[in-house]
Amino acid sequence: MEKTTDYILEVKDICKYFPGVKALDHVSISIPRGVVYGIVGENGAGKSTLMKILSGVYEKDEGTVIFNGETIEHTTPIQALRRGLSIIYQEFNLVNTMTVGENIFLGRFSETHGMKGTHKKAKELLDSIGSSISTTTLVGDLSASEMQMVEIAKALSFDSKLIIMDEPSSSLTSEELKKLGIIINQLRDKGVSVIYISHKLDEIFEYCNIVTIMRDGCVIDTKPVEELTRSDMIAKMVGRTIENEYPPRAHCVGEPLLEVRNLNTHKLHNINFTLHKGEILGLVGLVGAGRTEIIRALYGADKVKGHQVLLEGKEVKIPTPKQAKQAGMALVPEDRKREGLILPFSVESNITMASLEDLTHMGIVDSSKEADIGKRQIEALAIKTPTPETKVVTLSGGNQQKCIVGRWMERNPKILILDEPTRGIDVGAKFEIYLLMNKIVEEGGAIIMISSELPEVLNMSNRVLAICDGRITGEFNPEEATAEEIMDKAIG
Amino acid sequence: MTKTKTNPYLEFLKQNLVLCGIVVLIIVTAIAEPKFLGTSNLNNVLRQLGPLPFAALGMTFVIIGGFIDLSIVGIISLVGVITIGLVDPLGQVGALLAGILLGAFLGWLNGLVLTTCGAMTQAEVLFITYGMSSIYTALALIYTGSETLRISRSEKSISIFTTLGSTNIGIIPVVLVVFVIVLILMHLFHRKTIWGRAIALMGGNKDAAYLAGFNMKRTMRLAYAINGTMSALASIALLSRVTTATATSGANYETNAILCVVVGGTTLKGGKGSVLRTMLGVVLITLLGNCMNMLNLSTYMQTVMRGAVLVIAIWLDNRKEL
Repeated sequence: MEKTTDYILEVKDICKYFPGVKALDHVSISIPRGVVYGIVGENGAGKSTLMKILSGVYEKDEGTVIFNGETIEHTTPIQALRRGLSIIYQEFNLVNTMTVGENIFLGRFSETHGMKGTHKKAKELLDSIGSSISTTTLVGDLSASEMQMVEIAKALSFDSKLIIMDEPSSSLTSEELKKLGIIINQLRDKGVSVIYISHKLDEIFEYCNIVTIMRDGCVIDTKPVEELTRSDMIAKMVGRTIENEYPPRAHCVGEPLLEVRNLNTHKLHNINFTLHKGEILGLVGLVGAGRTEIIRALYGADKVKGHQVLLEGKEVKIPTPKQAKQAGMALVPEDRKREGLILPFSVESNITMASLEDLTHMGIVDSSKEADIGKRQIEALAIKTPTPETKVVTLSGGNQQKCIVGRWMERNPKILILDEPTRGIDVGAKFEIYLLMNKIVEEGGAIIMISSELPEVLNMSNRVLAICDGRITGEFNPEEATAEEIMDKAIG
Repeated sequence: MTKTKTNPYLEFLKQNLVLCGIVVLIIVTAIAEPKFLGTSNLNNVLRQLGPLPFAALGMTFVIIGGFIDLSIVGIISLVGVITIGLVDPLGQVGALLAGILLGAFLGWLNGLVLTTCGAMTQAEVLFITYGMSSIYTALALIYTGSETLRISRSEKSISIFTTLGSTNIGIIPVVLVVFVIVLILMHLFHRKTIWGRAIALMGGNKDAAYLAGFNMKRTMRLAYAINGTMSALASIALLSRVTTATATSGANYETNAILCVVVGGTTLKGGKGSVLRTMLGVVLITLLGNCMNMLNLSTYMQTVMRGAVLVIAIWLDNRKEL
């Protein structure tokens, strides 16, 4: 603390090349002790690559890294940790089948002199960040925010001087986010620096002291956060100005299209709602409230205890996703890498996979028609890919998401279900997804949208349902309701 | 992302590693032991190519589908003894068809057991198919009373089996001709049909394929039924060549088939692969065995080499993704 003007980390002229791309181009940043340092940028701007170099996952090609006054040539993740640099990834690095205490001191039980010491020290660390999680709970039983607390405690156990948080809020509810804010402030007060990477600019403004904006592997600007406005920041991130984050709301709600009656599963209780033609219906709730369960049950992906679904007035049975697809439904799932994409496959295969049956005659897939579909959707959605044969894993998050949307657009679905459609994708791609949603409803389709970003729901939907504990607890007109009113019902 | 700055020779080597391996192997062995390229050895190699290619072909589909099948040991053994046993009651054509159908059924049954158990991880699949293999082998033991069955003892004509087992067209054995036809059909099946595509998509990401409207359970049963059918063909090729069948004829075919598939370049992670590449794997493994025989390597050493090749193949496969 006596050297507050000193820098904990100085990065000078770092370059990193991947085959055919310059991922980082002479990147320099300096992080003072005891600040929260925001790094923003679109997907593919180089934030993650930089963090991976710092934590020793990648080797840098050029440049110098000075951590805590020491020039670092090579590092491995464990060495970085021991020096006092830890990173908390979006996907947590925890062992679900072990206890909280064991996770915090994983592999270092001898340092804590056995399990008793482990749990004692773990409790001290958790107390120090104001968390009351029992150290003997299994990590698998924790909520996302509690897991994050465990990760932070683990970082502190290494006596970290710099903690990198990569999209820490993506799995947190707004309540949990407030707690995270308090902890970040505590860390700063202790003299620990935090690098905070997020797509959510509100958080950057709330927590960070200094912000670096990156684009295409370069540092565009570094400024104290007070000197930046939201629109400045967006303009610098995308390299152009975006007047509005959301397009004007579509108003084309028509006849009832889908009626769901008495939907029950082991997590859902008496779900009843109606979806109209041309409507965007937003589902709001905390993570685990049952939002995803509702749409999965509707889509035939999960077992249902009994329910009635009327599509255009006629009763339909949807036991599997196959039938859902045939009934004109489409699902863009929450976790695009795990449930949406076939990562090692081409962009084209990922787009055409839901339409293959229509291209098949006597079992043979018509590959020229398939190529047409691929081209059509790549063009229609402006998917940035070198060729249709490019593997989808190499695309940015936004373009990957467009591949899944394109997969379903090809089938002209009557009901499009979007689960967190803009999670982890950049501002420009978000806007394009919004425009596409409006186009779908203008053409008579209907959309069910789940989103944890309340502004998105408020600005895009025609109607909002609040979900809490597997029940629908409120219905709102987003043009009149406030975010507070809706969250009040969602929290229950 | 586009690729630049790559050395074209290195790139060619990377893409065709197995082919290059085969060429190097041939050159090295030919220099060390000139008899290697003689007609009698060549005949020998071609004849050895009988059963393994079929087994590797079937296994390719299961592995592309993201799973594995250890039960082919049992399938090959059981189909072999039943086929010989059926020659007298059904005649040779009937026995042949019954054998193939039995293989298809046993494979399908594997799939049914797996989907019913809800087995979705590699480890579960590994052990369940291992268990199925024990059941099939045990059934074969019960059927034969652990005796060796000889097809030559049949009272009816066995001309199809003798043709398959010992007739050549030029220097090409008939069984290889049959195999090439099956290979082409299966290659087209993989590349052109929606079912082949479904298997590959399942291997790529079964959750995503399920949500996109594919029936994963049916696809899984299909992949295993294909493997069962191919194992039956392997079994018939084997019994035609050796003219006998026992309850343990199929031993070691599962590891060798998996070896060929992986060495050929089909990833054990599922999704990506090619039946044609598997055939390169078969050629490499068969040649390797032959070369080691020619160079008088001990059988123990040969086993060491096989293991090393498998490890290297998986290592290379994982390196590719970096």
